[in-house]
Amino acid sequence: MIALHLRLRPSTRRLAVAAGAIALAAVVIAPLSSTDAAQQAGLPLLTDRLWFRIATTVAMFVALASAWNVIGGLAGYASFGNIAFFGLGAYTTGALVSNLRWAFAPALLAAPLVSALFAAVIGLPLLRLRGHYFAVATLGVGVAVGEVVNNLGPLGGATGLFLPILRSDLLFFYLMLGTAALAVAATWVILRSRFGFGLLAIRENEEAAAVIGVNTIFYKVSAFVIAAALTGLAGGVFAQWNSFINQENVFAVSDNVEMILMAVLGGAGTVLGPVAGAVVLELTIETLAGGGSAAVYSQIGLGVLLTVCVIFIPRGVIDFFGGQSRLSLGYLRRTLRETSA
Amino acid sequence: MESAGGILPWSEWGHNSVSLLAVNDLGKRFGGVQALQGVSFTVQDGDVLGIIGPNGAGKTTLLNCVSGLFRPDRGDIRWQDRSIVGQAPYRIARLGIGRTFQIVRPFPSMTVRENTAMGALFGQPAGRLQPAEALRQADAVLDLVGLADKRSHPVLRLTVPDRKRLEVARALAMRPRLLLLDEVMAGLNQVEVEQALEMVRQVRASGVAIVLIEHVMKVIVGVCNRALVLNLGRPLLEGPPSEVLRDRRVIEAYLGERYARGGDA
Ligand SMILES: Nc1ncnc2c1ncn2[C@@H]1O[C@H](COP(=O)(O)OP(=O)(O)O)[C@@H](O)[C@H]1O
Ligand SMILES: [Mg+2]
Repeated sequence: MIALHLRLRPSTRRLAVAAGAIALAAVVIAPLSSTDAAQQAGLPLLTDRLWFRIATTVAMFVALASAWNVIGGLAGYASFGNIAFFGLGAYTTGALVSNLRWAFAPALLAAPLVSALFAAVIGLPLLRLRGHYFAVATLGVGVAVGEVVNNLGPLGGATGLFLPILRSDLLFFYLMLGTAALAVAATWVILRSRFGFGLLAIRENEEAAAVIGVNTIFYKVSAFVIAAALTGLAGGVFAQWNSFINQENVFAVSDNVEMILMAVLGGAGTVLGPVAGAVVLELTIETLAGGGSAAVYSQIGLGVLLTVCVIFIPRGVIDFFGGQSRLSLGYLRRTLRETSA
Repeated sequence: MESAGGILPWSEWGHNSVSLLAVNDLGKRFGGVQALQGVSFTVQDGDVLGIIGPNGAGKTTLLNCVSGLFRPDRGDIRWQDRSIVGQAPYRIARLGIGRTFQIVRPFPSMTVRENTAMGALFGQPAGRLQPAEALRQADAVLDLVGLADKRSHPVLRLTVPDRKRLEVARALAMRPRLLLLDEVMAGLNQVEVEQALEMVRQVRASGVAIVLIEHVMKVIVGVCNRALVLNLGRPLLEGPPSEVLRDRRVIEAYLGERYARGGDA
């Protein structure tokens, strides 16, 4: 069950958490070791610049997918406008550093604030819409904000915005990892709180939630604001990491689609689903990005995979292994046990 | 008046007291359909008010207005003498008004117990429970409505009567002072109706006032102390159940409907 129970059986769960913790520790610590030590430990890839880039990108998408999960997975409002929060965060940090000569640290902290404020303002009218109306409206906001920024001279207009280069692979890897950890931790805390149960109730049946006493508007806007803050923070880190931002690289609707795919593929509404989805999907994309025709086929493959997943395991892969879905392994196991008993 | 209510038990201030719920001249229109017109009634502590009337009479619309899902076009709804028209549904819920839905609205991916706990978690006027405590309270409510042995079932595996019981359980877990029940006994067999009646009596005995929409006459006579008949959105008459059900106009309203739907049988 999604709500007050833990999804996996305790033994399976403990094992998964332990394995995850070890893998995470390896990833987190590996970059700190010197190149030689890493080579000897058999972890040469993580000290390579290219792989640093990929690891940082993966962490970024873990943050974005987890943040999307708060509004899309928990509250059930499929936002296509989260990319606006990312772009706003990026441009906030970018403008403060580049135009106003702020130091990176305070400029980074401003990013989530601006995105959250923006979410609070647009959340009130937008979150009255439901289903595809909400999806389309948020999509419009995402595109509109990108266009506005693209036409603002002080923000570099169509040329984009350049930030002074800060060369530290390690710093940006850890900042993205920290943002991702924050997003995952936030989801974990929310899912155990009254607030989280209120969001789930809204997702499952909004009228029923309202008449049992859930302040639906406040809850939805809060979820939107939290998602925006986390997404904006990732945007701020990205701006300085990439040291160049424009409409194409921080307001791309395809990135918004990607975070949705990751969350849905891994398991929307769960803590670890979006993490799994982001890691697997981003690594696949990065690996296949190089080859010409391979890239095309990989795109088609991802599309097919997504369709199959949405149809057969709508609650995501996490559910497939432990859950209630009629097509899950857990269901199969239970059915076999019941029929043989 | 208000301060006196805090000191005296309700029975001692009798009929001059402030009503728990007072609906006055309520009107609601949907396009060309006048769903409610000139509907007035009150509910006192200890009341079980039955509302009957053929399909389309406006019974569900009335509940939707009281619980804040619809805003009435005219008239007033007062809770302990304060108007609640235009208030958000969650505020009305926390005043102590719980309701069920005729077309059930469970939280589909949660278990029976979790569904019920949601009512306790959010609906109680007294304040904020933690999830663990809400689950504990859900168990007590599930005993009362007869769902105790199905508490860990996913709701999608429940039969229709059980889903109706769950609606009642979730509303009861809110610890309401007024419970609005919309056809929760439709589709139950004789034995199940008896069980449901017993449940309603227990709820009433625990000090909860009830508004009960029902077609089964046995239910109206069995637990209601007053009945209100609606027809085409208007109040037809109000009075003690046995008298109301004997009235020619009421019989006609129902028979008329049955003739009109003759093809169904
Ligand atoms: N949301 C709505 N939109 C439009 N018409 C409605 C709506 N709800 C109810 N009605 C209409 O109002 C009338 C009363 O309906 P309802 O209150 O459901 O009756 P009852 O519960 O007594 O069967 C019907 O004619 C119904 O079609
Ligand atoms: Mg009805």
